Amino acid sequence: MLRRREFHVLVAFCAAIFCGLFGFVWTTRVSAQSADLPPGPIQSKVQTACMECHDARIIVQQRLSKKAWTKEVDKMIKWGAVVDPKDRDAFIDYLSLNFPPDKPPEPMPRVSAKK
Amino acid sequence: MATTRRDFLRIVPSALAGASVLHPALSWAGSDEVYVPGKEGMIVRSARFLDLEMPMEVLKTWITPGPHFFVRNHMHEPSTLDASTWALTISGEVENPLALSLADLKKLESHTVINTLECAGNGRAFQQPHVPGVQWERGAVGTARFSGPRLRDLLHRAGVKSTGKHVMFRGLDEVPGKVPAFIRSIPIEKATDADTLVALEMNSAPLAKHHGFPARALVPGWIGAASCKWLTEIKVLDKEFEGNFMKPGYRFPNQPVQPGADVNPDDTHPITALSVKSIIAAPIANATLRSRAVHIQGAAWAGEADITRVDLSTDGGSTWQPVQLGREQSKYAWRLWSYSWHAPRSGEYTILSRATDSQGRAQPASAAWNPSGYLYNAIDQVKIHVET
Ligand code: HEC
Repeated sequence: MLRRREFHVLVAFCAAIFCGLFGFVWTTRVSAQSADLPPGPIQSKVQTACMECHDARIIVQQRLSKKAWTKEVDKMIKWGAVVDPKDRDAFIDYLSLNFPPDKPPEPMPRVSAKK
Repeated sequence: MATTRRDFLRIVPSALAGASVLHPALSWAGSDEVYVPGKEGMIVRSARFLDLEMPMEVLKTWITPGPHFFVRNHMHEPSTLDASTWALTISGEVENPLALSLADLKKLESHTVINTLECAGNGRAFQQPHVPGVQWERGAVGTARFSGPRLRDLLHRAGVKSTGKHVMFRGLDEVPGKVPAFIRSIPIEKATDADTLVALEMNSAPLAKHHGFPARALVPGWIGAASCKWLTEIKVLDKEFEGNFMKPGYRFPNQPVQPGADVNPDDTHPITALSVKSIIAAPIANATLRSRAVHIQGAAWAGEADITRVDLSTDGGSTWQPVQLGREQSKYAWRLWSYSWHAPRSGEYTILSRATDSQGRAQPASAAWNPSGYLYNAIDQVKIHVET
């Protein structure tokens, strides 16, 4: 098992080597941990709390009312998501604002062909 | 919280691969590549946990090839699974508890069932109002040839006591945090049916990892969740198993409910067999066709019942014509169907398909809404644009 922090350090380390070797400018995704979720004041906390067990796709594909998002957040907290009780309402607001019922469906990627 | 080494291995190469194509204009979601060996082209509903949907353009054969078979995981796949030390235990309300190795299971008489496996949540994306869960469209379904010993032969060896009424399956899914384990049960009558298997093979090859290697339950005609993957424990119980994936999970309201209404879990029952359903695989929804000769095709299935007919409408439901059902058939397996149509002129068309089964059930105009969007089976509908 690899702890998440070690994982991040390792990724950053690999990224550094990779950039060094190939002269890449490493901008998105791996170094910027917030690339998965849309911007917002609580984004980085949602990123940390909600990406422990699964990636962001399962969240961004939902189209739910505030009532339904409230149930989801409470279910995930019961299942082990670490959310400061002070932040619970902000999580619900952020998710209801970004993934409401009337938003068009999220396009989902395809499994890519082998590189 | 821990990231498994396997996740690490999967994420890093895809992130590196993605780096070469990253572009600032790409949206914040789905810009990373997901590489799952042997599953190229599948729709990624979730990469971690892995949930892959079959795209309709590959639904062309009665038996779904492994690479196109959908994957539905509730949590992480087992990160280490050594077939040489793996064992399947049978305990609970039995005279002789057993522990069987893979070699033991392979020595038993093998039986084959061609089964259409469908996730109970297939079609959830079409529910209105929307409900939480993996937003499957049409492709969380596939048909394969499953082989392995009959579950009833194993239960017979263990000697089920008269108190044994339900059979519980536990898989080796890795449970994160305080998430409840993936454990469900089926009634003893279905467990001892001659077609219920402990499957070791799928399409004549050992089960692939994503499909439950080395062994899975195969409960034909029932929702996919009944066919527990990475099976490691079978326990005979005197009553239905109580746990998240039996209640509130995978239940259906006893009475029709108003779309969007709350449902009391005590007024629901566990979902068992699949409903009657057809899907249109071609043309693809929203396709623009350059010819007025349109080949329409799809699949239809009905769980434990047989498909008796599929009707098609090319005028939004005003008139219906029976389609040609494919020759290949087997109890529990879907029927492919096709229809050749000549569009009278250029324009927009709505094509509808409606299956009817041997129990007299037909697909409804709108599916029975329920809070988790299970068993979506409304008449399928694709809009196309003919432009000649
Ligand atoms: C302890 C692990 C864990 C954490 C942390 C976690 N989830 Fe989940 N989440 C799960 C599991 C397991 C499932 C899948 C359940 C299933 O497929 O039956 C899931 C599924 C979901 C779904 C799909 C709908 C559903 O209920 O199945 C949504 C939406 C979701 N999670 C949102 C979140 C949000 C928002 C957070 C942060 C507040 C979060 N999750 C944190 C474990 C977790």
